[in-house]
Parts: sequence; structure tokens; C-alpha cells
Amino acid sequence: MNRDTVEQVLRDYDALRRPGTDPGLEAVRAAILLEDVFDIALSDAEIDPAVFADSAAVAALVARLRGAV
Amino acid sequence: MCGICGIVSYDGPPDLALLRRMMGRLGHRGPDGNGYYRDRRAALGHTRLAIIDTSGGAQPLCNEDGTVWVTFNGEIFNYVELGAELRHRGHIFRTVSDTEVIVHAWEEWGEECFSRFNGQWAIALWDRRAERLVLSRDRLGVRPLFFIRRPTGLLFASEVKSIFADRSVERAFDPAGLDQTFTYWSPVAPRTVFRGIEQLEPGYYAVLDRDGFRKAPYWRITFPERGREPMQDAQENADALRERIVEATRLRFLRSDVPVGAYLSGGLDSSVTAAVIARYTGAPVHTFSLRFSDREFDEGQYQKKMSAVLGTQHQDIVVSPSDIAAVFPEVIRHAESPILRAAPAPLFLLSKLVRENGYKVVVTGEGADEVLAGYDLFREARVRLFWSRDPESEKRTRAAELLYPWMARSPGRMPAFARSFFGRHLDPADPGLSHRPRWDSTSVIKSMLSGDLQDGISRADAEDVVATMPPDSKDWDPLSRAQWLEMTTLLAGYILASQGDRMLMANSVEGRFPFLDRDVVDFANALPARHKLFGLEEKYLLKRAFADLVPDDILHRPKQPYRAPDAASFFTPDRPAWFDEVMAERTIAAAGVFEPSLVAGLLAKCARTGGENMSNTDNMRVLAIVSTQLTHECFIAGGGWGALEWSLPDPSVAVDLGTDDRSVP
Repeated sequence: MNRDTVEQVLRDYDALRRPGTDPGLEAVRAAILLEDVFDIALSDAEIDPAVFADSAAVAALVARLRGAV
Repeated sequence: MCGICGIVSYDGPPDLALLRRMMGRLGHRGPDGNGYYRDRRAALGHTRLAIIDTSGGAQPLCNEDGTVWVTFNGEIFNYVELGAELRHRGHIFRTVSDTEVIVHAWEEWGEECFSRFNGQWAIALWDRRAERLVLSRDRLGVRPLFFIRRPTGLLFASEVKSIFADRSVERAFDPAGLDQTFTYWSPVAPRTVFRGIEQLEPGYYAVLDRDGFRKAPYWRITFPERGREPMQDAQENADALRERIVEATRLRFLRSDVPVGAYLSGGLDSSVTAAVIARYTGAPVHTFSLRFSDREFDEGQYQKKMSAVLGTQHQDIVVSPSDIAAVFPEVIRHAESPILRAAPAPLFLLSKLVRENGYKVVVTGEGADEVLAGYDLFREARVRLFWSRDPESEKRTRAAELLYPWMARSPGRMPAFARSFFGRHLDPADPGLSHRPRWDSTSVIKSMLSGDLQDGISRADAEDVVATMPPDSKDWDPLSRAQWLEMTTLLAGYILASQGDRMLMANSVEGRFPFLDRDVVDFANALPARHKLFGLEEKYLLKRAFADLVPDDILHRPKQPYRAPDAASFFTPDRPAWFDEVMAERTIAAAGVFEPSLVAGLLAKCARTGGENMSNTDNMRVLAIVSTQLTHECFIAGGGWGALEWSLPDPSVAVDLGTDDRSVP
């Protein structure tokens, strides 16, 4: 998956965010998507509502974990 | 859409009276005409629902010199293009029907012709010179085709009841077929629930000639290796998907010489097909919907909204639990199989409404859930896979709370139950991981089987469908494996059969399914899995492709599966008398499938609540028992319910070469 595709996926994910729902559960929802699309594995600590509330933080997390793959 | 049947006989000309009886049992599939062909070795029968070339196109139909004959149920939607190509190659046509394209295509391309067809079909071709019968069924099993092989020949038909017109055919349940039904929701082709009766697998053709019987696939459900999908851009794929669905819908709406209506369920799929018809054909649209008196199941507000948006002429039917019980024996007579939900019964009533309004063709949204990943089961599988990576993780465990938001007792409201239910068999290496919870919960039915049947099942050793998955499926995305299992089991065996063809044809109505178009399916199967199920967002690409045609509240409403009242339908105060007859202890014992004392206990439990608020398991148990008993009564016990024969009018084709095979009409 090239960089453009990664960015497109993150934009698409951003468009699907659901405001007003349980942040912990939304973090789980996002983690399911990211693990599936990017073939990465998140630790419990990384399934963090604070990270998933911030698009830039998500992008950085994905970049770090994809680099580690 | 029609009924087909036939006989190949190794010991003298086929019995014409038997063929006529077989045709008579298919009268509901083809009330507009009938015909037959017989020679010294084979006989073909046809009952016609006239849709294309209503003045010509009577069947059986032959090639230029009368050496190849066909009887055909279905539609070849690209018959115009194929016909032009065949004419260019020198074939001479007498009609403008899609049926005639089949015989010339067979002459031109042999068995390769089937992969050129885009449609829904069950075909029987008879080549007189080679004394060769060829059977073929469409890619995903829209149209049924059953047969029985015997030392003296072969019988085939659109429905089993037609084969049972031959009184020498054994009538008994196949324990392995029942085992599959009580696991996968239906038998998996080639099995049926009847001993000795086979169904041709979807995507296959079979040949019977002097070299014997053999069969082979002309098409398979397949997916690319994960990560090697050819098309990665979501917007380009959304545009391409739209183009294919629009074309598939246009073909199914316009290639008909009779008016075509559309189902409108209130969900996304039928909203898309109805919207495409309205937008891209410019024709007035007549839509039909199913509603329920029980608000838990009713989607009326969404149906009305979509109808208003499209400006369709709209009609609906409101179904109550009593309505379901009233028609249930007739539903089973058409389904010819035990069913685990009452859901086919309202669809029987809906097709009746369509027919009463003068329509005999409807376009529906069937197939989108399988092809574009709409089912909750796919979301469930993704959650379970996520969870399986660390089953002890508190955060991963919470994923189950994201499932089934439409349920009154959803996992989000009952997290402890959800964890225990979805947490079983969490083995990421299991190719059947997606379906284990469903199969496990369905298999509970088998705890009520009689000892004899349980022994029979043990001896029969029914095929494990996971073991039949293609070797390269290990490289597919997990979603693709789940889709393969769903298309191989539930789609062909239940959705398109008991809920589809049988409930439509019971009232002489043809269903057309744009989402099962060859080009739509091949395109969708090649997509990256994330374009179908994006995280937990189902049918992601379909929503993206048609966001401008479907209102937001339909586009984004949580997926609500089509359901109907189950056990509650049979415990109303006005319950019909047949129920107590088929569920009586002596009748249960006579059928030999279920243990009478266990059935009595279940019925007592239902009676206490009027069938309301039963568990999913008990609802399935009730439906499994009632429908199995009715299947037994109709087709095995010989009560006559399954043997209803239409009085057919004079045939429009009557070719009998059974005594003199030298002349050709």
C-alpha cells in the first residue's frame, strides 16, 4: 500500500467518525479498522481515545507501526 | 421464467404421460403455456411464464435442423449481444427470444457458452445425434435444477415435486441433507433433504451421454490474494461499481416484453435498484413493499420515504403473525425444505400482491449483502478476529458491544452475554471463523432429533463445507473467505431458494437481481475487502457510489436484517387446525425426525408465552420442527399436499418422435 493510499484511507476514516458516542468504544471501532486495513497490531495502550480523537495522531501512529512491520 | 423437466431413458422411449404429470406439477412456474419434445431416448417438458418474445419463444425450442433441443428456465440478459454475434457467425434465428440464443451458443461454443451468458438460468439441452443431455445452472444458484440418477436413466426438474410425479422414486429424508440444514440453514448443493435427489451446483454444467454422467464448473466464486487486489482507489472503484450496477439494473428492467415492478424494503439495496430504475430509465416505477403489524419488524416509514422520493406508484401488504400461520403449509409446499425462519411466508404474500397487480417480473436488491458485505455476520467476524489477537484484552473484548445495534437485546446492552457467545472458537487460523457462532447456535436444533436420525446422521457423515474451500482461499482476505462461505451456503440454499425463487414462482412472478449480475459480482469480488467492509462500516463502496440517489437516513441507518415473527406466528388464538395435526405426538413419531417428548416440552413452553419473547434458539427450533413436519407431510407421507397438479392447457409445442425418430419437425 503506497503513501497516497494510506492517506486516502485515513481521510475516509476521518469522514466516518461518529461524534457523541462513547470515546472508548469509538477507539475500539477505529482500532478494528486500522488493524485490518494496515495490517498492524495495536497494544491496549495504543487503543487510546485521546489518540483516536486526533487525526494527526492517528496518522503518526499508523506511520510508526507500519514502519515497524 | 418457467418450469422445466425431463426424462432420459436407457430402456425405451420416455413415458409421455409421466412427462405431462411432471409438467403439471410445475404449472405455477409457467401458467402462460406449455410444450414438450420426445424422441426415443429423451423427453423435455416446459411450462412457460412468457416475458421475452411473448408471441414467439415457445419451448422446447430447437436449432436450425432440429438436432439440438432446449428447455430453459430463466433469462440470458445479454441475449441481444450474443444473438448478434451468432447471426454474424451464420446462425439462423426463427425467434427473437433469449432461449434460441442458447441452442446456437451451444452449437458454436459448446460448454464454453455458459461462461458467456450473463443471466439467471436452469437449462437442459438435448443433442439428438450424440444422445447427450447437458444441464446447466447459473453462477450463484438463482434458478433451481434438481435431478435423480437411476440405472434406467435420469429425471430432472425445476422442483422436486415434479420428480416425485414418478411414483417409483423413493421418498425419504436424507439424514446428511437434514444435518446440513440444521447447521448451515439449508442443504449445500449437490445435496438436498431428499435421499437420492441431487441439485446441480451453481456455476456447474453436467453431461449425461454414452460415456456416463459427469459435471464440471464453468465459473467459481473466487477472490484475489489479500494485498494484491488490482484496484486500490476507493473513488474510482465507487464510480466503476455504480456504472456496473446501473447497467445491470437497466438490463433487468428494460429487457422484458411485459411490465417490470420493483421491491422496496426500506433498506439500502432495494432503494438503490429502484432509484436507478427511476433515474436511468425514465420509466414510471411501480414499487411493492412488505410491512408487518408488529412494529419490531416493520420498515414502513423508510419504504414510504423512498417511494415518495422516487415518485413511484406504491403498494404494500401488512402481514400479521396469523397471516404467516395461514399460508405456512403452502410456503413449505413450494420451498420443499425445512426452513428455520418464518421469513419466506411474508415474501410469498408479497409476490401474491405483485401478481394480483398484473406484474410478473420484479427487480429486487437481493445479493447485495453477500456480494458487497452487508451482513452483520461479516462485521461479527471482523470483531471476533480483532478480539482473537488478544482474548484477554479488556479493550478488545469491548468490540462485541459494537455488534447488532438493532437488536432489543443487543450486545451493547448485554455485554457479558455477548462476550460468552462471540468469544467461543476464537481461532484466527480457522477458515470458518466467521460462521462458527451461527453454525453452533443453529446446531442446537439437533439436540431435539430422534435417536434414529442422530444415528443416521453419524453414519451419513455430511460434507464439512469448510473442507471444500478452494486451496488458494488461505491467501484471501478473511472477509473474502466469509463471503465464499455465505455465497456457497446461505445465498444459494436459502436466500435465493426458500426466500427467493420459490416464494416468487409460487405466484408466477420472476425475480431479477442486479447485484447478482455477472459483471457486478466479478468486479466486487476483485475489490480490496476494505472497500466492502471499511472497519465495521458495511457496504461501504455501495453507499459511496449511490450517496446522491438515496436519502441520508436510509443510506446511514443501521443495517436491519429482514425478519418476521417466528414462533409467535403459531401460538395466536386463531391458530389453524393443521398446526396441531402436524405437531401431534403421533405425527412427530411417524415422521421420525424429532423426539416427541422434547417437542412436547418445547410446545408447552411456547404456549405459556404465546410464542412471544422466545430465545433465538427456541424460535429456530419451533420453525425447524413445524417446517420439517410439513415437508414430511407434503412429500414423504403421501398426504397429497405436494402432489397438486395444474390442469395444463393444450401445448403450444408438441413434438413426439418417440416412435419414429427419423423425421424432424
